[in-house]
Amino acid sequence: MNHFDEMSCLLYLEGQLEKDRAREMADHSATCAGCRALLRALQTEDVWLREALSAEEESVPARLMEAPERGGAPWGWITALGLAAGGMYTLWSGFVEPWRAQAEQAGFTQGNFLTMLFFSGTFWKGWDAMRSLMEFMAVATLGIVVTWLLRRRWRHVTATGIVMGSIVFALAGAPPASAADVKHGQPNYTLAAGEEVKTDLIVFADTTRVDGDVDGDLIAWSRNVIVNGHVKGDVLAWGADVRIKGTVDGNVRSWAQTTTVSGTVAKNFMSWSGEADLDEKGRVGGSATVAAGNSTLGGQIAGDVMAWGGEYELNGSFGRNVLVHSEKLAIGSAAQIAGTAKYEGRHEATIADGAKLRSPLEFVEEKHGPDYTEWRYYWHQTLLWGASFVFGLLVLLLAPRFFFDAQDACKKVVPAAGFGVLFVVATPIVAVLICFTIVGIGVGVSTFLMYLVAFYSTQIFVGGWLGEKLLGASTGIAPAVGRLALGLGILRALRMLPYVRIAVFVIVLVWGMGGLVLAFYKRIRPQLAPAV
Amino acid sequence: MERRKTTGEMSATELMEVLSQVRAGDADAWGELYRQYGPAIFRFCRRALPSKEDAEDATTEVFMKVRQKLGTYDSSRPFTAWLYKVASNHCWDMLRRRRIRQDLETGDLETLPLEHPDPSQLERLMEEHTSKQVRSGLEKLPDRARMALVLRYYADMSYDEIGETLGVRRAFVGVLLLRARHQLREALGQGGAEGVRGAAVGERA
Repeated sequence: MNHFDEMSCLLYLEGQLEKDRAREMADHSATCAGCRALLRALQTEDVWLREALSAEEESVPARLMEAPERGGAPWGWITALGLAAGGMYTLWSGFVEPWRAQAEQAGFTQGNFLTMLFFSGTFWKGWDAMRSLMEFMAVATLGIVVTWLLRRRWRHVTATGIVMGSIVFALAGAPPASAADVKHGQPNYTLAAGEEVKTDLIVFADTTRVDGDVDGDLIAWSRNVIVNGHVKGDVLAWGADVRIKGTVDGNVRSWAQTTTVSGTVAKNFMSWSGEADLDEKGRVGGSATVAAGNSTLGGQIAGDVMAWGGEYELNGSFGRNVLVHSEKLAIGSAAQIAGTAKYEGRHEATIADGAKLRSPLEFVEEKHGPDYTEWRYYWHQTLLWGASFVFGLLVLLLAPRFFFDAQDACKKVVPAAGFGVLFVVATPIVAVLICFTIVGIGVGVSTFLMYLVAFYSTQIFVGGWLGEKLLGASTGIAPAVGRLALGLGILRALRMLPYVRIAVFVIVLVWGMGGLVLAFYKRIRPQLAPAV
Repeated sequence: MERRKTTGEMSATELMEVLSQVRAGDADAWGELYRQYGPAIFRFCRRALPSKEDAEDATTEVFMKVRQKLGTYDSSRPFTAWLYKVASNHCWDMLRRRRIRQDLETGDLETLPLEHPDPSQLERLMEEHTSKQVRSGLEKLPDRARMALVLRYYADMSYDEIGETLGVRRAFVGVLLLRARHQLREALGQGGAEGVRGAAVGERA
């Protein structure tokens, strides 16, 4: 005769079996001493458990004697928010604000920080593109919220699929950005003198030559870009040789082997070039930001000058402050600097006799590595630790499961390192490639911003892992916070050591990124139904 | 079955009156309600949560929730059932926020086959352990197992209520309880008494 298993016996005792099955059980147990014994034992265990759990041996603590009138002060949250505010301030004042200020000096002055992030909204199509981007971000945010709201009702994959499908549908239905005149040179493109393009002009050609007028932006990818005519918007140029001989009412931004300005730029000039020159006739109405191997700035610049690179020669007229960070600096006899002049480099600058400087050149000799004798250095490191800890705390509180997943994934050293290398290298490349497909700039920039967040977050996963390694495994948030603090502290200390710090930085980046990727993969891979 | 204990004796009529006064903002009535049910809820939290400090915090928070949500209480249902529901949801939320690591570490247990206990060894195990030892053993269990036992054998919740609280199907509640019992036996067995697992069922053959 078949005996009933323990599960059936328990369900029978708990009154959870169907009638027929219960009757069967009753009939069987009447004749089977073994099953009867098991039923009796389980029933005794039931009573035993109830009595053990109901026993009132432990007195109620004194602090619970009075009824709670209001919630206690959320000191934990107040502390966390305080730390978060401090961390955010540190990040903002230490990193974001200086960059924002520099970018503003470089001419990205059309509004807020977000605008600056997207190249003042004129990178592709001005405010239209910005609007499209904002629409995309709004729809994406809405999608995330909807997914979150529906997560309990629908299977995760189904909900995600529906929401993502809706986003794609919404974006596909959005009106395209306003038209630009796109030209493909065969192989060259020339806008002849007297001709005018009434909109933005985008050119892909071997040589782009603009002798006529462009009533909008000129965006050119060419080996040679020559502007002899009049561009009423900005000029954005990628090429081997970029020459601005005519008039540009907006900004000039170039990424080139050689950039030469001998015409007039009404707003700002920015260039990343092997060689960037502003010749004697060149005029820049705003500021100049130059990163170049060699550069001669001989014309007039009404605004600030900010320059990095190899060798610089200043021999023009500069209306405001000049800051140069380079190997060498020579200030010629024709140079006139109306503002302050500051030079950071390894060699003293040479200043010709005829040069007119409002104040003496401030020279800061560049040193390699941190100054360990300076207390500010340690304070700065402490703040950086604090910022990373607060960031880790936020991730831990907001997405604890993901945090632990990523931290655990770091234990798989080889896969984490492999995926880490791949994603550290590949993600920015993919982001840039997406940006270069005009439709995908929003996605590309978002990818890049997410990459930066991931970049920063790598330390918290490795730090958490390190803390756990040192203090042992734990359960719950509170122990994890302590381990995170310790791990981050050790990582920060290691990154203060000479020679070692770069290796530590790279290892943490690669390793943490791998953990992050593996944790993401765990989230999105198909889930099997749990065994019952 | 009547719900778990409360400290004092309060008739249904008295309870309704007290609840009505609490809704009206009467501080004395609120104190009376707390004195009546606070100890029981503390003990519930003490059994459901891993530490005494957690239980104390949870008790306070549960009653703050009770005060906020009292308007949603349906007076046609037993108040203790509603109260334990609030408490169990709160405790389970606390545990869910914390249990991530433990779940990962004990996830495999769910799929382990269970062996039949030897009734005589099971009875011996029960004889050898005091209530205090049982509660100590309970603290060693994974959150979900401990919670299932407390909901069933302390708060007297039905399978439907347990399933709803723990987010599992009703059919799985029995499995959960049986596994929890096995884990408790194991925990107690490791504590000094002879283990009950692995006993053969030969005598039933």
